[in-house]
Amino acid sequence: MSSLTENIPQSLQREKMSDEGFITSLVVIVAVALFLVASLLVPNFFQWQNVVNLVTNNWAVISLGIFVSFLLVSGNFDLSVGGIVALSGVLSVWFAQSPDGANALSSGLGMPYPLAILCALIGALAIGAMNALFVVRLGIPSIIVTLGTMMVARGIAQVITQGSQRNTNLPDEFGFLGNLTMFGTSVKLPVVLMLLLFLVAVFVERKMVFGRITYWIGANPEAATLSGINRSWHITKLYLFSAAVAGMVGILLASEFKSGFSNRGTLMEFDALVIALLGGIAITGGFGSVIGMFFGAIILAVVTSAATGMVLSPDWQFILKAIAVFLAIVTQTWAVARRNR
Amino acid sequence: MTSYSNQTSSAARFTSFLRNYYIYFVLVAVVVLLSTANLDQFALFERGNFLYKRNIINILRVSAPLLVMAGAFTLLMVSGYIDLSVGSAMSLSAVVYAMLAINGVPFIPAFALTVLVGVLLGAINGFLVVRLNITPVIATLITLSLFKGVALLLVQDGVSAIKSDNFLKIPGWFNDYGRAKVLFDLPAAFWVAVAVTLALIVVQNRGKLGKYAAATGGNPTAAKLSGINTGRTVFLLYVIVGASAALAGIARSSFMSLGDPLSGDGMELTAILVVLLGGTAFSGGEGKVLRSFVGALIIMMLTVGMLTIVPAYYQTLVIGSALLAAAASNHLVSRKGKES
Repeated sequence: MSSLTENIPQSLQREKMSDEGFITSLVVIVAVALFLVASLLVPNFFQWQNVVNLVTNNWAVISLGIFVSFLLVSGNFDLSVGGIVALSGVLSVWFAQSPDGANALSSGLGMPYPLAILCALIGALAIGAMNALFVVRLGIPSIIVTLGTMMVARGIAQVITQGSQRNTNLPDEFGFLGNLTMFGTSVKLPVVLMLLLFLVAVFVERKMVFGRITYWIGANPEAATLSGINRSWHITKLYLFSAAVAGMVGILLASEFKSGFSNRGTLMEFDALVIALLGGIAITGGFGSVIGMFFGAIILAVVTSAATGMVLSPDWQFILKAIAVFLAIVTQTWAVARRNR
Repeated sequence: MTSYSNQTSSAARFTSFLRNYYIYFVLVAVVVLLSTANLDQFALFERGNFLYKRNIINILRVSAPLLVMAGAFTLLMVSGYIDLSVGSAMSLSAVVYAMLAINGVPFIPAFALTVLVGVLLGAINGFLVVRLNITPVIATLITLSLFKGVALLLVQDGVSAIKSDNFLKIPGWFNDYGRAKVLFDLPAAFWVAVAVTLALIVVQNRGKLGKYAAATGGNPTAAKLSGINTGRTVFLLYVIVGASAALAGIARSSFMSLGDPLSGDGMELTAILVVLLGGTAFSGGEGKVLRSFVGALIIMMLTVGMLTIVPAYYQTLVIGSALLAAAASNHLVSRKGKES
């Protein structure tokens, strides 16, 4: 059994990997080149602290991007993550607020904080399970399902916060996790968690069966099923993991700001998708790498922060995003086609 | 054995009947529900009667933007494609229209230019999807961001929308398209939506484009092999969707008396929702313009009606759930129809 599964993919892998490695290194080169160009154009851009900021300011989107990338590789969208960020954050606040508040928005369920986190995560997982149910069991296109669950998740958050936010009557330890600095530097716990998660994701993607199965499913769903892979269960797991990470991000953000805000994470689902696409992950499935996604995030961060540095109006960010994704897709398609000619 | 086959054929007839006409039952049910519910205490439903004339007029004229888009969006989805940029295209058109009007361009040129802008936006989508072969979802996500960015840029910093200020005034006629009573006390915007829908019904049932769209959605390869230029069909459909998004933008802008760069946000979701509610299969191949029109009426009645019963912050949850429910039921019904 093991010899069988090892033999087939490796011959496939060698050819595919090279294209993938090519695109990923292209993304890395573009990221570095853009940084250098921005350093020339924008005063004070070329600083170590700025490099650190490019990563630390984007921990939330990069964390979300990891499983969004995995799902894209398997041929599925997940646009629900932004909604889940709002939902889990609001839930963790609501569960942790003591029940004796003056009005509806300042009184919650009064759970101990660890239990509140756990329950908020369960809420996030419920949305992930809903995604899996509709996509896997009913076979409805993932783009429509996850847009729907995004609205449902954010909708629940809006109902709980009555359309605004909950930030009073919280236990003291609530703000601890999101603001904990590590190693005597200004780097906070969420950033370290993001980096850990990223490294684990790279390892899983390259070296573990779970990661390789994700690629086979994306590259050829029929063949994957025929070779005995339980496709439904694998996609279900991916949606659950994605929801869990989004839930964690929501809880950490709520902790950082000590509030549960129903509009938090708006457009994060699009940004996570954008950085994955910038990183060379193909929506047709089976192609791309989390490493590319990481540098895709850097590209987006460099472009938007350089634009802000050059005193462009913040309204430019939408246009810049559009142009960046467009160029990324066109050049990647072109580069691969040219290379394989 | 015979009785069994009879059963299946009557079951098949029943599901196909259900598929074709369920939307009208839903419409009647929603009207009955809203007319019998006790809405006395709410100002919007005057004298507590849903079927009161002013209330119906109000709902219909608020619905104009969605109604005008529903038909074109249906044809696009019938052909198996999707456009996530309609909301942004609508916002951008609203801004452009208001800018033209505030700078002294008369009604007809402003209207025509804005529709032309819509055609251009649709052509951009068509170009990305057909020429450059970018997946529709990604291509229209790119333009969603692009159109929204342009709309936001057109509006000056520090101002939320194009509106009358100390120097420039929105002209008096601006409101007429979306509000002035033209026929049966309804504004031009509504009648344009009806006209567009009727035209698209004719196109779908009699025209080549309708047949080509269905063929492209049903089986793209077969369509191509039988000599249909699927690329041109899809391009044309994107252009029509762009133009109808511009009409929607004009209607919204005229109704609100301002060019709001965020006015179309979320419209793509509502458009998908009404088309799915109308029973169009997202795999393409089937669907009817008229049913989406009715679906749009239902959604607007529900959203306006809902505002009087529950606080506004329930809306996202309800629309999201409706989207999931419509997708699921649509899927189950169409699968049953195909199996039998």
